[in-house]
Amino acid sequence: MKPENKPLYAAVHAAEFPAQTLQRLRPELQPDAIAVLDGRAPVETICSLNRRARQKGAALGMTRLEAESIPGLRLFPRSAENEDAARMALLECAAHFSPRLEDKSQGTACVCMLDITGTERLFGPPETLAERLRAALVAAGFRTSVAVSSNFHAARLKAAATRGITVIPANQEADALAKLPVELLGLAPEQTEIFVMWGVLTLGELAALPQVELVTRLGAQAAELRELARGALPHTFQPIEREFTLKEVCEFETPVDQSDSLLFVGARMIDCLVARAGARALSLASLQVQMKLEGEHAYRRVIRPAIPTTDRKFLLKLLQLEIAAHPPQAAVLSLTLSAEAGQSIKVQLGLFAPQTPDPSRLDITIARLKAIAGEDRVGSPVLEDTHRPGSFRMEHFSVANMQSSAAESNAPAQTRMALRRLRPPVPVRVELRDGKPVVFRDNERRFKVDAAYGPWKSSGCWWCDDGWNTEEWDVLAETSDGSSVACVLVRNVDVQSAATTPAYEHSIWQLEAFYD
Amino acid sequence: MPSATALRIQIEHTLERRFPAALTPVPRTIRETTPTGVSEVDKLLEGGLPVGAISEVTGPESSGRTSLAISFLARTTEEGRVCAWVDADDAFDAESAAASGVSLNQLLWVRCGSAGKLPKGKPYARLDQAIRATDLLLQAGGFAALVLDLGSTSAEYGLRIPLATWFRFRQAADRTRCSLLVLSQAPLAQSSAAVVLECAPLCAKTRDETVLSGYSYEVRSGRQRFTPALATARKPPASTWSATGTWEREKRA
Repeated sequence: MKPENKPLYAAVHAAEFPAQTLQRLRPELQPDAIAVLDGRAPVETICSLNRRARQKGAALGMTRLEAESIPGLRLFPRSAENEDAARMALLECAAHFSPRLEDKSQGTACVCMLDITGTERLFGPPETLAERLRAALVAAGFRTSVAVSSNFHAARLKAAATRGITVIPANQEADALAKLPVELLGLAPEQTEIFVMWGVLTLGELAALPQVELVTRLGAQAAELRELARGALPHTFQPIEREFTLKEVCEFETPVDQSDSLLFVGARMIDCLVARAGARALSLASLQVQMKLEGEHAYRRVIRPAIPTTDRKFLLKLLQLEIAAHPPQAAVLSLTLSAEAGQSIKVQLGLFAPQTPDPSRLDITIARLKAIAGEDRVGSPVLEDTHRPGSFRMEHFSVANMQSSAAESNAPAQTRMALRRLRPPVPVRVELRDGKPVVFRDNERRFKVDAAYGPWKSSGCWWCDDGWNTEEWDVLAETSDGSSVACVLVRNVDVQSAATTPAYEHSIWQLEAFYD
Repeated sequence: MPSATALRIQIEHTLERRFPAALTPVPRTIRETTPTGVSEVDKLLEGGLPVGAISEVTGPESSGRTSLAISFLARTTEEGRVCAWVDADDAFDAESAAASGVSLNQLLWVRCGSAGKLPKGKPYARLDQAIRATDLLLQAGGFAALVLDLGSTSAEYGLRIPLATWFRFRQAADRTRCSLLVLSQAPLAQSSAAVVLECAPLCAKTRDETVLSGYSYEVRSGRQRFTPALATARKPPASTWSATGTWEREKRA
């Protein structure tokens, strides 16, 4: 076998993963002594803890009662969802160095094996790769140990037993593993007992035992243990099919009712999501905010920027405005941010292209405008396909998909009279002469009609509840203060009643708009 | 005999304390303008409404303010630019705008004062919303034109808008090159306005005395900050223009 074809594996071992997961998204916990409790209340026990917690006297297996008696120790419940999201982030980070990954996590440790065969040209010698890998993991918020070896199991065992970076030279696996304790092999209790009775405490001592006699006494499995101890057990690599999901979860120790606290955690989560998407040259097309609230309530909002972006501050601002516009109705137990990746948009701007708002900034402006005026009162008007007067709907305003009408002008040659609508229309009392209005008045003013043109009848949707049947008059009138106005008077006829009785008996006069 | 230049310098030096640069013509800044789409008004304004400044169109109801503003937006959106309409009274009619040629997908409409939520007859909340929205849009930049529609708000309330607000709007409009058009019943922005147009209704036009076909308006230039006084004096102070109904057929050459 050529040297470059010889397999090479890197093992990443993140010990005390539940505790690390908590500290990753909440850097303010770094200086604290924290312990993670697992199990059913009230018999929970500590399953993971950090170094400061050990210094304070905490240990694995302690009950909640014992742990609570230690001053300064902060206790958190274990969250499988949180750990899954963190494990996904760790694998994502490791995938930058090799596409072939195998997840060998066990217990509270997260172990990721990388097949780094043939990566020397990309990352240099194994020492350099290991350093870069560990630095990348530290940047992602994980404290790990890394071991590199040509034997899969040797790398795994060495990473689990030592801190920092270890590179085992080829054919020296047995020496590198010699001083490690036999407990690393994950022995059954009876096997451990036998080895203790024999005085075999290290892998070196186990490897030195004769194979035939060992198998005779412990069975066929002993041969595998001996090969493991010698660093010579072969392994068929089983790469995982990684699913690329951008998701970050944070569960709080106590319910959070202040949006600032949520945003503090949310900022770190957005940072992680952006970094993970950016590593694949992707942007965040949408951000889904989910919260678990007190009282089994759920909160879910989706933030869709106008264009996919990796701007952390911009996304955080959108999150802040979204939470301010739609605050959760109860205290928050956990926050989940999941993102949808999208391609970054590359636009070639022209020197002579008209000035348009920056899409990202416009998103924030529109969100602020919605907070001021109302959710459905900011946008671009779109006319409905109906003859109903004044019918329109509001759509989200965006410059990203705007089709410029510069090429095809639809502006009329003459200036048109525009209407100023009164919303809602003002009811007026009308005096008629020969069927035409001569005087009408609202609650404030009296209008003397100079000329009335009409009626222009319009009706529709008579087959359903929201039908209309109107008579429209264009009226030139003089107000009580002497000014002239041109306005639109509308007589609404009740569609249902008009079928049985004369229309004027069920009509309502309204001042609908002014020509201005 | 001293030359004309020497004489000029000597006179200017003598009068320097009272009239600095007395005989040197003041350099005139040519301001960029955007046509309103109404030729009579463009002629009155020497090109159109100034870019990056506040213009006020004032007058009572039915004086053609909204038609003029919509015509201006139609011309602006025709060039592919983006506009905004901050509607303090929720009076904007999208059908009229579309009929006048405004590209609605290039128009951001902010409808202040959600119906039923604000007390009637107390426009302060709506005014406050409109001013805050205008502030945000001016600061955001990128809008070629922004219409602040206070046309149905009584001057009594509009005049209570602090002058500092208009100063801020003027600065922001200048920085972002946005034409801020204010529709109101009376001039509100005072010295911050570059142009003030006073509109008034003239007469209605009818077809066969049965259909209202159009309306004539009078427009008077109340203030033009960027035009020298001498030049203004020679120009006609007022002009008339007319608008036709959206139902009228367009005259073709």
